[in-house]
Amino acid sequence: MKELSSKNITFKIRRYNPEKSNKTHFATFVVPTTRGMTVLDALLYIKENLDSTLAFRTSCRMAICGSCGMLINKYPHLACHTQIEELKTKTVTVEPLPNLPVIKDLVVDLSPLFEKHKLVKPYIIRADRPEMDNPTAEFAQSPEELESFLQFTYCVKCGICISACPTSATDKQFLGPQALAQCYRYCTDSRDDGERERFLLADSENGIWHCHLAGACSDACPKGVDPALAIQLLKRQLVARATNLLGKRELTPLVTPPVHSKPKLPFPQFTVNDKTDAREG
Amino acid sequence: MKNAYLWLAQLVTGILVAVTLGIHMVWMHLDNILSALGIDANEPTSWSSMIQRSRDIVWATLYIALLAFVLYHALYGLRNILFELVQSRGIRRAVTWGILAFGILAFAWGTYVPVILLIK
Repeated sequence: MKELSSKNITFKIRRYNPEKSNKTHFATFVVPTTRGMTVLDALLYIKENLDSTLAFRTSCRMAICGSCGMLINKYPHLACHTQIEELKTKTVTVEPLPNLPVIKDLVVDLSPLFEKHKLVKPYIIRADRPEMDNPTAEFAQSPEELESFLQFTYCVKCGICISACPTSATDKQFLGPQALAQCYRYCTDSRDDGERERFLLADSENGIWHCHLAGACSDACPKGVDPALAIQLLKRQLVARATNLLGKRELTPLVTPPVHSKPKLPFPQFTVNDKTDAREG
Repeated sequence: MKNAYLWLAQLVTGILVAVTLGIHMVWMHLDNILSALGIDANEPTSWSSMIQRSRDIVWATLYIALLAFVLYHALYGLRNILFELVQSRGIRRAVTWGILAFGILAFAWGTYVPVILLIK
Protein backbone atom coordinates (compact mmCIF):
# COMPACT_ATOMS: atom_id res chain seq x y z
CA MET A 1 0.00 0.00 0.00
CA LYS A 2 1.27 3.45 -0.91
CA GLU A 3 2.32 5.51 2.10
CA LEU A 4 0.49 8.85 2.50
CA SER A 5 2.88 11.77 2.05
CA SER A 6 3.31 13.92 5.15
CA LYS A 7 3.56 17.72 5.14
CA ASN A 8 4.60 19.87 8.06
CA ILE A 9 2.08 22.59 8.86
CA THR A 10 2.64 25.29 11.48
CA PHE A 11 -0.23 25.78 13.90
CA LYS A 12 -0.50 29.13 15.67
CA ILE A 13 -2.86 28.64 18.58
CA ARG A 14 -4.14 31.44 20.78
CA ARG A 15 -3.50 30.41 24.38
CA TYR A 16 -5.23 31.83 27.44
CA ASN A 17 -5.00 30.65 31.01
CA PRO A 18 -6.75 33.00 33.47
CA GLU A 19 -5.03 31.25 36.39
CA LYS A 20 -1.64 32.43 35.10
CA SER A 21 -2.28 35.65 33.19
CA ASN A 22 -5.15 37.74 31.85
CA LYS A 23 -3.30 38.21 28.57
CA THR A 24 -3.49 35.89 25.59
CA HIS A 25 -0.56 34.81 23.46
CA PHE A 26 0.06 32.64 20.41
CA ALA A 27 1.84 29.31 20.79
CA THR A 28 3.38 27.74 17.69
CA PHE A 29 3.44 24.01 16.96
CA VAL A 30 4.64 22.14 13.89
CA VAL A 31 2.39 19.21 13.05
CA PRO A 32 3.10 16.51 10.43
CA THR A 33 -0.14 16.33 8.46
CA THR A 34 -1.43 13.85 5.93
CA ARG A 35 -4.19 14.03 3.35
CA GLY A 36 -7.68 14.07 4.90
CA MET A 37 -6.40 15.15 8.33
CA THR A 38 -8.67 17.62 10.07
CA VAL A 39 -7.78 20.56 12.30
CA LEU A 40 -9.19 18.56 15.20
CA ASP A 41 -6.79 15.69 14.39
CA ALA A 42 -3.94 18.21 14.50
CA LEU A 43 -5.11 19.57 17.86
CA LEU A 44 -5.32 16.01 19.23
CA TYR A 45 -1.80 15.39 17.90
CA ILE A 46 -0.54 18.51 19.68
CA LYS A 47 -2.26 17.50 22.93
CA GLU A 48 -0.92 13.94 22.79
CA ASN A 49 2.63 14.69 21.57
CA LEU A 50 3.60 18.33 22.01
CA ASP A 51 1.65 20.08 24.79
CA SER A 52 -0.81 18.23 27.00
CA THR A 53 -1.99 21.48 28.62
CA LEU A 54 -3.77 22.66 25.45
CA ALA A 55 -7.49 22.97 26.18
CA PHE A 56 -10.22 22.46 23.59
CA ARG A 57 -13.64 20.82 23.44
CA THR A 58 -14.32 17.78 21.30
CA SER A 59 -16.61 14.82 21.31
CA CYS A 60 -18.11 13.17 18.22
CA ARG A 61 -15.47 14.01 15.55
CA MET A 62 -18.19 13.98 12.87
CA ALA A 63 -19.90 17.41 13.03
CA ILE A 64 -22.83 16.19 15.06
CA CYS A 65 -22.14 17.31 18.63
CA GLY A 66 -21.12 20.90 17.86
CA SER A 67 -18.37 20.91 20.51
CA CYS A 68 -15.32 21.90 18.48
CA GLY A 69 -16.38 25.27 17.07
CA MET A 70 -13.34 27.56 16.78
CA LEU A 71 -11.91 30.36 14.69
CA ILE A 72 -9.68 28.74 12.08
CA ASN A 73 -7.73 31.15 9.89
CA LYS A 74 -10.04 33.97 11.08
CA TYR A 75 -13.21 32.11 10.07
CA PRO A 76 -15.50 30.14 12.41
CA HIS A 77 -15.51 26.42 11.64
CA LEU A 78 -16.00 23.08 13.35
CA ALA A 79 -12.45 21.76 13.75
CA CYS A 80 -13.59 18.20 13.00
CA HIS A 81 -15.29 19.38 9.79
CA THR A 82 -12.29 21.29 8.42
CA GLN A 83 -9.57 19.46 6.58
CA ILE A 84 -6.16 21.10 6.84
CA GLU A 85 -5.55 20.60 3.12
CA GLU A 86 -8.63 22.62 2.12
CA LEU A 87 -7.29 25.68 3.98
CA LYS A 88 -4.42 25.84 1.45
CA THR A 89 -2.04 27.60 3.88
CA LYS A 90 1.27 26.57 5.42
CA THR A 91 0.29 28.23 8.70
CA VAL A 92 -3.04 27.58 10.36
CA THR A 93 -4.21 30.02 13.01
CA VAL A 94 -6.62 28.62 15.59
CA GLU A 95 -8.42 30.89 18.05
CA PRO A 96 -11.47 30.56 20.31
CA LEU A 97 -14.86 31.60 18.89
CA PRO A 98 -15.41 35.35 19.14
CA ASN A 99 -18.52 36.95 20.74
CA LEU A 100 -18.45 34.35 23.53
CA PRO A 101 -16.49 34.48 26.81
CA VAL A 102 -13.29 32.40 26.78
CA ILE A 103 -12.76 29.92 29.62
CA LYS A 104 -9.33 28.59 28.62
CA ASP A 105 -7.37 28.37 25.35
CA LEU A 106 -9.95 27.32 22.72
CA VAL A 107 -12.76 26.57 25.16
CA VAL A 108 -15.53 29.17 25.16
CA ASP A 109 -18.43 29.51 27.56
CA LEU A 110 -21.55 28.54 25.60
CA SER A 111 -23.96 29.43 28.42
CA PRO A 112 -25.08 32.74 26.77
CA LEU A 113 -26.14 30.63 23.76
CA PHE A 114 -28.03 28.11 25.89
CA GLU A 115 -29.66 30.84 28.02
CA LYS A 116 -30.98 32.61 24.91
CA HIS A 117 -32.01 29.28 23.42
CA LYS A 118 -34.02 28.51 26.56
CA LEU A 119 -35.70 31.93 26.41
CA VAL A 120 -37.43 31.13 23.11
CA LYS A 121 -39.03 28.02 24.67
CA PRO A 122 -37.63 25.45 22.24
CA TYR A 123 -40.34 22.85 22.72
CA ILE A 124 -43.90 22.24 21.54
CA ILE A 125 -46.41 24.39 23.41
CA ARG A 126 -50.08 23.50 23.04
CA ALA A 127 -53.25 25.19 24.22
CA ASP A 128 -54.71 21.81 25.14
CA ARG A 129 -52.51 21.21 28.14
CA PRO A 130 -54.33 18.06 29.42
CA GLU A 131 -53.78 16.43 26.01
CA MET A 132 -50.07 17.33 26.21
CA ASP A 133 -49.75 15.76 29.66
CA ASN A 134 -51.85 12.67 28.95
CA PRO A 135 -51.99 12.17 25.20
CA THR A 136 -54.94 10.24 23.84
CA ALA A 137 -54.00 10.54 20.18
CA GLU A 138 -51.20 11.60 17.83
CA PHE A 139 -50.51 15.12 16.52
CA ALA A 140 -50.66 14.60 12.78
CA GLN A 141 -48.14 16.40 10.58
CA SER A 142 -47.83 16.12 6.82
CA PRO A 143 -44.43 15.81 5.11
CA GLU A 144 -44.97 19.31 3.63
CA GLU A 145 -45.54 20.77 7.09
CA LEU A 146 -42.39 19.06 8.32
CA GLU A 147 -40.43 20.37 5.32
CA SER A 148 -41.33 23.98 6.21
CA PHE A 149 -39.03 23.93 9.25
CA LEU A 150 -36.95 20.75 8.86
CA GLN A 151 -33.61 22.42 8.00
CA PHE A 152 -33.73 24.46 11.23
CA THR A 153 -33.91 21.27 13.29
CA TYR A 154 -30.36 20.42 12.13
CA CYS A 155 -28.87 23.06 14.45
CA VAL A 156 -26.16 21.49 16.67
CA LYS A 157 -25.83 24.54 18.96
CA CYS A 158 -22.14 24.98 18.23
CA GLY A 159 -22.25 28.79 18.55
CA ILE A 160 -20.62 29.38 15.16
CA CYS A 161 -23.52 31.51 13.88
CA ILE A 162 -23.28 33.76 16.97
CA SER A 163 -19.54 34.17 16.53
CA ALA A 164 -20.05 35.11 12.85
CA CYS A 165 -22.92 37.56 13.54
CA PRO A 166 -21.87 41.25 13.43
CA THR A 167 -24.86 42.26 15.56
CA SER A 168 -23.96 39.76 18.30
CA ALA A 169 -20.45 41.27 18.25
CA THR A 170 -21.72 44.71 19.26
CA ASP A 171 -24.94 43.91 21.14
CA LYS A 172 -24.47 41.25 23.81
CA GLN A 173 -28.20 41.30 24.61
CA PHE A 174 -29.21 40.48 21.04
CA LEU A 175 -30.97 37.11 20.99
CA GLY A 176 -28.76 35.99 18.13
CA PRO A 177 -29.27 33.88 15.02
CA GLN A 178 -29.38 30.53 16.82
CA ALA A 179 -32.22 31.39 19.21
CA LEU A 180 -34.19 33.32 16.59
CA ALA A 181 -33.92 30.47 14.09
CA GLN A 182 -35.21 28.08 16.76
CA CYS A 183 -37.98 30.55 17.56
CA TYR A 184 -39.05 30.34 13.90
CA ARG A 185 -38.63 26.55 13.89
CA TYR A 186 -41.12 26.09 16.74
CA CYS A 187 -43.52 28.85 15.66
CA THR A 188 -43.76 27.22 12.20
CA ASP A 189 -44.32 23.74 13.58
CA SER A 190 -47.95 22.88 12.80
CA ARG A 191 -48.30 21.12 16.17
CA ASP A 192 -47.23 24.20 18.14
CA ASP A 193 -49.44 26.93 19.58
CA GLY A 194 -46.82 28.95 21.45
CA GLU A 195 -46.14 31.73 18.97
CA ARG A 196 -47.84 34.35 21.16
CA GLU A 197 -45.34 33.68 23.97
CA ARG A 198 -42.34 33.56 21.63
CA PHE A 199 -43.39 36.58 19.56
CA LEU A 200 -43.28 38.76 22.69
CA LEU A 201 -39.59 37.97 22.97
CA ALA A 202 -38.82 38.10 19.25
CA ASP A 203 -40.54 41.50 18.98
CA SER A 204 -38.57 42.95 21.92
CA GLU A 205 -35.78 45.53 21.71
CA ASN A 206 -33.16 42.75 21.72
CA GLY A 207 -35.07 40.64 19.29
CA ILE A 208 -35.46 40.12 15.61
CA TRP A 209 -35.46 43.74 14.42
CA HIS A 210 -31.78 44.13 15.23
CA CYS A 211 -30.78 41.68 12.51
CA HIS A 212 -29.63 43.65 9.48
CA LEU A 213 -29.30 40.61 7.27
CA ALA A 214 -25.55 40.39 6.93
CA GLY A 215 -26.09 36.67 6.28
CA ALA A 216 -22.81 35.75 8.01
CA CYS A 217 -24.63 33.21 10.22
CA SER A 218 -25.94 31.24 7.24
CA ASP A 219 -22.59 31.46 5.49
CA ALA A 220 -20.72 30.06 8.50
CA CYS A 221 -23.17 27.37 9.66
CA PRO A 222 -21.42 23.98 9.30
CA LYS A 223 -24.75 22.13 9.15
CA GLY A 224 -26.19 24.09 6.22
CA VAL A 225 -28.87 25.71 8.37
CA ASP A 226 -29.93 29.14 7.12
CA PRO A 227 -30.66 31.22 10.26
CA ALA A 228 -30.78 34.45 8.22
CA LEU A 229 -33.67 32.99 6.23
CA ALA A 230 -35.43 31.94 9.44
CA ILE A 231 -35.08 35.47 10.79
CA GLN A 232 -36.52 37.01 7.63
CA LEU A 233 -39.42 34.53 7.65
CA LEU A 234 -40.00 35.23 11.34
CA LYS A 235 -40.12 38.98 10.56
CA ARG A 236 -42.79 38.22 7.97
CA GLN A 237 -44.76 36.13 10.48
CA LEU A 238 -44.57 38.90 13.09
CA VAL A 239 -45.74 41.58 10.66
CA ALA A 240 -48.51 39.30 9.40
CA ARG A 241 -49.70 38.67 12.97
CA ALA A 242 -49.46 42.36 13.91
CA THR A 243 -51.45 43.44 10.86
CA ASN A 244 -53.67 40.34 11.02
CA LEU A 245 -53.01 39.59 7.36
CA LEU A 246 -52.82 35.82 7.71
CA GLY A 247 -55.73 35.41 10.10
CA LYS A 248 -55.72 32.79 12.82
CA ARG A 249 -53.50 29.77 12.31
CA GLU A 250 -55.19 26.40 12.55
CA LEU A 251 -53.54 23.90 14.83
CA THR A 252 -52.94 20.42 13.62
CA PRO A 253 -55.80 18.09 14.57
CA LEU A 254 -55.47 15.13 16.82
CA VAL A 255 -55.53 11.86 14.96
CA THR A 256 -56.44 8.66 16.70
CA PRO A 257 -53.78 6.04 16.08
CA PRO A 258 -54.92 2.98 14.09
CA VAL A 259 -56.75 0.51 16.31
CA HIS A 260 -56.06 -2.60 14.26
CA SER A 261 -52.32 -2.75 14.23
CA LYS A 262 -50.40 -5.78 13.06
CA PRO A 263 -50.46 -8.64 15.54
CA LYS A 264 -47.44 -8.74 17.77
CA LEU A 265 -44.93 -11.48 17.18
CA PRO A 266 -44.99 -14.20 19.81
CA PHE A 267 -42.16 -14.15 22.29
CA PRO A 268 -39.41 -16.43 20.97
CA GLN A 269 -38.85 -19.76 22.61
CA PHE A 270 -35.62 -20.10 24.56
CA THR A 271 -33.22 -22.48 22.92
CA VAL A 272 -32.17 -23.56 26.40
CA ASN A 273 -35.19 -23.83 28.68
CA ASP A 274 -33.66 -22.85 32.00
CA LYS A 275 -30.56 -23.40 34.07
CA THR A 276 -31.92 -26.53 35.76
CA ASP A 277 -32.89 -28.15 32.46
CA ALA A 278 -29.58 -27.24 30.96
CA ARG A 279 -27.72 -28.74 33.89
CA GLU A 280 -29.80 -31.91 33.77
CA GLY A 281 -29.48 -32.20 30.00
CA MET B 1 -46.10 44.13 18.37
CA LYS B 2 -44.99 47.79 18.45
CA ASN B 3 -41.61 47.01 16.93
CA ALA B 4 -43.24 45.04 14.11
CA TYR B 5 -45.19 48.16 13.09
CA LEU B 6 -42.07 50.34 13.31
CA TRP B 7 -40.12 47.92 11.10
CA LEU B 8 -42.99 47.61 8.62
CA ALA B 9 -43.14 51.41 8.42
CA GLN B 10 -39.43 51.45 7.57
CA LEU B 11 -40.03 48.99 4.73
CA VAL B 12 -42.97 51.01 3.40
CA THR B 13 -41.11 54.34 3.68
CA GLY B 14 -38.16 52.73 1.87
CA ILE B 15 -40.41 51.99 -1.11
CA LEU B 16 -42.03 55.42 -0.92
CA VAL B 17 -38.62 57.12 -0.81
CA ALA B 18 -37.65 55.25 -3.98
CA VAL B 19 -40.85 56.45 -5.69
CA THR B 20 -40.86 60.11 -4.54
CA LEU B 21 -37.10 60.54 -4.86
CA GLY B 22 -37.32 58.89 -8.28
CA ILE B 23 -39.85 61.49 -9.42
CA HIS B 24 -37.64 64.28 -8.04
CA MET B 25 -34.49 62.94 -9.72
CA VAL B 26 -36.17 62.38 -13.08
CA TRP B 27 -37.69 65.89 -13.03
CA MET B 28 -34.45 67.58 -11.97
CA HIS B 29 -31.91 65.74 -14.09
CA LEU B 30 -33.66 64.11 -17.05
CA ASP B 31 -35.40 67.26 -18.36
CA ASN B 32 -34.00 66.63 -21.87
CA ILE B 33 -35.69 63.24 -22.01
CA LEU B 34 -38.87 64.72 -20.54
CA SER B 35 -38.94 67.46 -23.20
CA ALA B 36 -38.45 64.78 -25.90
CA LEU B 37 -41.56 63.11 -24.45
CA GLY B 38 -43.43 66.39 -24.68
CA ILE B 39 -43.22 67.32 -20.98
CA ASP B 40 -41.83 70.79 -20.28
CA ALA B 41 -39.79 70.76 -17.06
CA ASN B 42 -39.04 74.50 -17.47
CA GLU B 43 -35.34 74.55 -16.49
CA PRO B 44 -35.95 72.61 -13.27
CA THR B 45 -32.71 73.60 -11.49
CA SER B 46 -33.31 77.36 -11.83
CA TRP B 47 -34.36 79.43 -8.79
CA SER B 48 -37.61 80.62 -10.35
CA SER B 49 -38.63 77.09 -11.33
CA MET B 50 -37.88 75.83 -7.81
CA ILE B 51 -40.02 78.59 -6.24
CA GLN B 52 -42.77 77.89 -8.76
CA ARG B 53 -42.77 74.20 -7.82
CA SER B 54 -42.84 75.03 -4.12
CA ARG B 55 -45.99 77.13 -4.67
CA ASP B 56 -47.66 74.21 -6.47
CA ILE B 57 -49.70 72.13 -4.03
CA VAL B 58 -48.86 68.80 -5.74
CA TRP B 59 -45.10 69.44 -5.82
CA ALA B 60 -45.07 70.87 -2.29
CA THR B 61 -46.95 67.81 -1.00
CA LEU B 62 -44.52 65.51 -2.82
CA TYR B 63 -41.48 67.24 -1.28
CA ILE B 64 -42.97 67.33 2.22
CA ALA B 65 -43.87 63.64 1.90
CA LEU B 66 -40.35 62.84 0.63
CA LEU B 67 -38.85 64.62 3.63
CA ALA B 68 -41.12 62.74 6.04
CA PHE B 69 -40.34 59.35 4.45
CA VAL B 70 -36.56 59.99 4.37
CA LEU B 71 -36.51 61.22 7.96
CA TYR B 72 -38.45 58.23 9.29
CA HIS B 73 -36.47 55.69 7.25
CA ALA B 74 -33.06 57.10 8.13
CA LEU B 75 -33.74 57.92 11.79
CA TYR B 76 -35.29 54.51 12.53
CA GLY B 77 -32.17 52.93 11.00
CA LEU B 78 -29.93 55.20 13.06
CA ARG B 79 -31.88 54.27 16.21
CA ASN B 80 -31.30 50.58 15.48
CA ILE B 81 -27.56 51.15 15.05
CA LEU B 82 -27.36 53.17 18.26
CA PHE B 83 -29.35 50.49 20.13
CA GLU B 84 -26.65 47.99 19.21
CA LEU B 85 -24.05 50.18 20.87
CA VAL B 86 -25.93 50.96 24.09
CA GLN B 87 -27.45 48.25 26.24
CA SER B 88 -28.90 50.37 29.06
CA ARG B 89 -32.69 50.67 28.92
CA GLY B 90 -32.56 54.29 30.15
CA ILE B 91 -30.05 55.38 27.52
CA ARG B 92 -32.06 53.57 24.84
CA ARG B 93 -35.16 55.52 25.91
CA ALA B 94 -33.14 58.76 25.77
CA VAL B 95 -31.90 57.80 22.27
CA THR B 96 -35.50 57.24 21.12
CA TRP B 97 -36.68 60.61 22.47
CA GLY B 98 -33.60 62.40 21.15
CA ILE B 99 -34.09 60.97 17.66
CA LEU B 100 -37.82 61.75 17.76
CA ALA B 101 -37.11 65.36 18.77
CA PHE B 102 -34.44 65.69 16.07
CA GLY B 103 -36.85 64.25 13.47
CA ILE B 104 -39.63 66.67 14.40
CA LEU B 105 -37.22 69.65 14.35
CA ALA B 106 -35.74 68.63 11.00
CA PHE B 107 -39.22 68.11 9.55
CA ALA B 108 -40.39 71.52 10.78
CA TRP B 109 -37.26 73.19 9.42
CA GLY B 110 -37.52 71.40 6.07
CA THR B 111 -41.21 72.12 5.55
CA TYR B 112 -41.00 75.76 6.66
CA VAL B 113 -40.16 77.18 3.19
CA PRO B 114 -42.77 75.30 1.12
CA VAL B 115 -45.45 75.93 3.75
CA ILE B 116 -44.70 79.69 3.82
CA LEU B 117 -44.64 79.80 0.00
CA LEU B 118 -47.96 77.94 -0.15
CA ILE B 119 -49.61 80.31 2.35
CA LYS B 120 -48.27 83.57 0.85
